[in-house]
Amino acid sequence: MQANLKLKGLLVITLLPALLLYSFFVIIPIFWSSYYGFFEWSGLGEATYIGFQNYMEVIQSSVFWRSFKNNMIIVAASVFGQVPIALALALMLRKRNWFQKVVRSAVFLPMVISTVVVGLIWGYIYDPELGVINAVLRAVGLESWTKSWLSDPSVNMYAVAVPIIWNYIGPYLIIFIAAIQNIPSEMEEAAMIDGASGWKKLIYIILPNMWTTIKVAVVLCISGSLKAFDQVFVMTGGGPAESTEILATYMYNNTFLVYRYGYGSAVSTMIIILSLILIGISQLLMRRKNG
Amino acid sequence: MKKRWFHLIKVTFLSIFSLMMIYPLYWLITSSFKSNEEFFAEPYAFPTSISWGNFTRAWEVADLGTAMINSVIVTVSATALTVFLGALTAYVLSRFTFRLKAFLMVFFLLGMLIPIHSTLVPLFTMMNQVGLLDTYWALILPYTAFELPIAIFLTVAYMSSIPKDLEEAAVIDGTGYWGIFFRIMLPLSVPALSTVAILSFLRYWNEFVFALVFINDNSLKTLPLSLSIFSDGFSTDYALTMAAMTIAVIPTIIMYLLFQEQIMKGMVAGSVKG
Repeated sequence: MQANLKLKGLLVITLLPALLLYSFFVIIPIFWSSYYGFFEWSGLGEATYIGFQNYMEVIQSSVFWRSFKNNMIIVAASVFGQVPIALALALMLRKRNWFQKVVRSAVFLPMVISTVVVGLIWGYIYDPELGVINAVLRAVGLESWTKSWLSDPSVNMYAVAVPIIWNYIGPYLIIFIAAIQNIPSEMEEAAMIDGASGWKKLIYIILPNMWTTIKVAVVLCISGSLKAFDQVFVMTGGGPAESTEILATYMYNNTFLVYRYGYGSAVSTMIIILSLILIGISQLLMRRKNG
Repeated sequence: MKKRWFHLIKVTFLSIFSLMMIYPLYWLITSSFKSNEEFFAEPYAFPTSISWGNFTRAWEVADLGTAMINSVIVTVSATALTVFLGALTAYVLSRFTFRLKAFLMVFFLLGMLIPIHSTLVPLFTMMNQVGLLDTYWALILPYTAFELPIAIFLTVAYMSSIPKDLEEAAVIDGTGYWGIFFRIMLPLSVPALSTVAILSFLRYWNEFVFALVFINDNSLKTLPLSLSIFSDGFSTDYALTMAAMTIAVIPTIIMYLLFQEQIMKGMVAGSVKG
């Protein structure tokens, strides 16, 4: 009995610090923001209860939905950029010699670079005067293709997506390489005996065996892209004229630049709801195809 | 013959692709050795002479020294806290059975689904009310809180694989639970805990949004935050900005070169769990 009490005390003492810290900073904010979404509040002074007004304003805001659309562009760019590139590279990187290791390291390297630095460097790369992209275009005689990549609304959202693709290919590559190495070697040998090599082996043996991993990668890609903020914030801040606004920059600009904490809280709540819906849908789609 | 051609094309393609991946960093580091005149005249050439002037100038003019100290304080304290709390929680979750265990595992897992930036507004107002804003704690505590789920899951997975014989022997010898934790579980879990430490270090060193919103005091700004402000103030002084960025990036590149395999595996495990 005494030992039991001692054990209970131990459990409480050991679990409490982590549990409190985690609840206070990760879980409670979600409820706090959905609550403050019902108030008009400048951050200072009294908050006034205004019912669903903030939430209605978010839902009716065309900029909010444009931000959502821009977020979807990043999601699509990641799914159709990162996954195929990583898959193609993984198929070429199946050996463990030094050359292939160097390639792997190079592809993974951007993962450890500060996202602020990533945003700043790519800002320079896109610079209309000094940037390397326009310099290359001029050098090969495609002067007419040069653009101010980050301010031209017809291309800037795609331009913003490229550094994000560049930044996060690494983990997908590693996941795919591991999946290829997990394919039973008997299967490949059997295929060889049957005379399947090259493309046939790829289509009939390798890809079907990787299908589950590819689906996991797509789900990761979707939830990862919804977290984008830093690079976009540093490169464009959501501008010019809100053309590269994504949900997170929209929330930031509407809270901390104009001091509308109530509205910002409502936007935060909407971001959580939309993210959970998207993650839910993607999980569901993946599961159905599994069955 | 056909095979050799194929191989050659593959190697060429992989080389070009790798160079493209590294190019932005290569350009950053080489540019930071150039003077502004040289940068404008030959933005892509290799620097004609190596000069450290930009680095000393960035260090003094932009007060990067202070930012570096702040980054070290915040990163090291938060990493230590993450490793300790992660290990302690993982020890309990992997070694004891109690009623709320399954619930707690799911509860901690939930955190990985929440987009960090959606907690900015509530955390700002909450910390404002308790007077935490503009202190080191405003970064150390939320950093740790958001990294805990990954830390706990990596460590629980590892601790579950450690055989129980040693602990049983220790219990017979009269060692208490804390003794088992500090003298057996902690040392045995070093591989998992070092992965947690490396990942936390990288994440905290590079973190930007929380620092942007929770820190206003110039004397408390971390490196990424200083860089972002700096780039607005000195945006035409490319050489200076490039040098400052290089200073911020070097520690993470060194970490990467030292612990590459661990970083790759850890980051993949962390993201898959989420």
